[in-house]
Amino acid sequence: MRRDLTAAAVALRIGAGQAMAGWTVLAGRCLFYVLIMTVLSALWDKVAAEPARGAISLPAGGLVLYVLATEWITLALPAVHMKFEDDIRSGGLEPHLLRPKFYLLQSLAQSLGGTLVRLAVLGVTAVVWLAMTGRQGPPAGAYPYLFVLGVLAVTVGMLLYAVAGLCAFWTRRILPVQLVIQKLMFLLGGLFAPITLYPDWLRKLAEATPFAAHLYWAGVQALAPSGAMFLTAAAWQVLWIVLLSLLCLVLWRAGLAKVLREGGV
Amino acid sequence: MSAVITVKSLAKAYRYAKRRGGFFEAFSPEHVTVEAVAGVDFEVGKGERVAIIGPNGAGKSTTLKMLSGILEPSSGEATVLGLTPWKQRKALAYRIGVVFGQRSQLWGELPARESFALLRHIYDQEAAPFAKRLGELTERFALAELLDQPVHRMSLGQRMRCEITASLLHGPNLLFLDEPTIGLDVTAKAAIRDFIREHARDHGQTVLLTSHDTRDIELVCDRVIVVNQGRIVVDQPTDQLRRRFLGRKIITFQSAGQGVSLNLPGVTRRASEAHATILEVDTRLTRVEQVIAAALADGGIEDVTIEDPPMEEVIAEIYASTHAA
Repeated sequence: MRRDLTAAAVALRIGAGQAMAGWTVLAGRCLFYVLIMTVLSALWDKVAAEPARGAISLPAGGLVLYVLATEWITLALPAVHMKFEDDIRSGGLEPHLLRPKFYLLQSLAQSLGGTLVRLAVLGVTAVVWLAMTGRQGPPAGAYPYLFVLGVLAVTVGMLLYAVAGLCAFWTRRILPVQLVIQKLMFLLGGLFAPITLYPDWLRKLAEATPFAAHLYWAGVQALAPSGAMFLTAAAWQVLWIVLLSLLCLVLWRAGLAKVLREGGV
Repeated sequence: MSAVITVKSLAKAYRYAKRRGGFFEAFSPEHVTVEAVAGVDFEVGKGERVAIIGPNGAGKSTTLKMLSGILEPSSGEATVLGLTPWKQRKALAYRIGVVFGQRSQLWGELPARESFALLRHIYDQEAAPFAKRLGELTERFALAELLDQPVHRMSLGQRMRCEITASLLHGPNLLFLDEPTIGLDVTAKAAIRDFIREHARDHGQTVLLTSHDTRDIELVCDRVIVVNQGRIVVDQPTDQLRRRFLGRKIITFQSAGQGVSLNLPGVTRRASEAHATILEVDTRLTRVEQVIAAALADGGIEDVTIEDPPMEEVIAEIYASTHAA
């Protein structure tokens, strides 16, 4: 087990190295982050300036910090689903099956390595953007909370995409599954607005999903940081990391049995 | 010689749904069973270098997959290094090296050195012996210039040298090579063949190789197993097989004027085109250089190509001869 974790740690480092080697792609993500924040902040500033028109009350100061956090997480996510689909469909899985270490753990560790680099670089971009636009950021005490929730949030997102990718064992093409998961991330995760704006029954439902664990809890921490909220958020995220990891494991075992029996998909 | 691989009545049948026209038929597909490997038996001793050859779909890759543990057989038994591959895949992985000519096991964006470093941890290798082995392979394969280059920027030949190095870094007892020279130029092929042969000989390593290139078989392996339609049709030393079946060359002469006409023993003219004369040469009766010298003396030659007969022809010949027997 210790050796498996050591190999996973090396894979994580290699994933981080790959993300840094592809610095042009990383720079492109940062540029897109700035662009999308410029547009969304303009939208939410306008909404916040005219609160009386809406049927729902928005938090003071608008939702710019919330969207800044959710986009930070979204843009840091890896395309692990595409890697799985490609490996499973092309037969690229075979060289990995001939190794003594667990492909799923190695691949996820490698993806997480790249994700953490993107999370750090996009985080710096967010701080710079706040400074350049003269906006007030979250209080200094919120940053450690945000860092922890951000890491847990991308892990939940990565595992959701991993579930989509592993469906390739049965569906070959995962686009339909990927689209469903992606849209649920936007809707039930609250990509552009917190799920507290939803009707009570829908909010309660959304809060309990992995999609909220992926985006909402970290976003709301940027908006109104508190220790109690942090603990609730982290508990939901850890719960979903455990459940999604188990789901990945079940899918992997069933898919692997199929490949070993049928020689491919 | 102790057996490294023992195969008894090993068989694999694939079952797949055949598509039929019509909407309702889509819900009740017809299932078809294809017998990829139909009960093969053979043994491979320690230090032997064995080629499994055969036309596409003959069952050679399926056999290799079952022996490396990534495919379960439908029936039969096999032990590789004392292990049942499909039941003890992980334990076997530490003791075998595998190269798929058409698939990379390296990480494209990273320098080869980093891929090798990850492989050290994947195979739980101690740092010192690993570094020694990497140093030896780097020197033997002239990799020093390549180690810090991202793999995706390498030529196919350079990448294949790195792939083979990667498969040997954990010191495997047995090497599985699936089309290791596919797509390479003549020089790169020669380098790979020399290396595999010498490394296996020096380290007492057992090699099981599949290839469509008869030169891989002739220059690397000392025994050939020919499979066709999932069955072994020939299993004999390479020398004997070459004498029986690989003693022919196809020589194509491009000429501006009329075609080449030679009257030499063992040289027959095949169906040729306007400015290309295709000759089949039985090298037991006339050497290739004699044919070329005679053609050049005839004049008007612009280009010459020398090839082995297509593997399908060799297999067909073997198959025909085994049927006749």
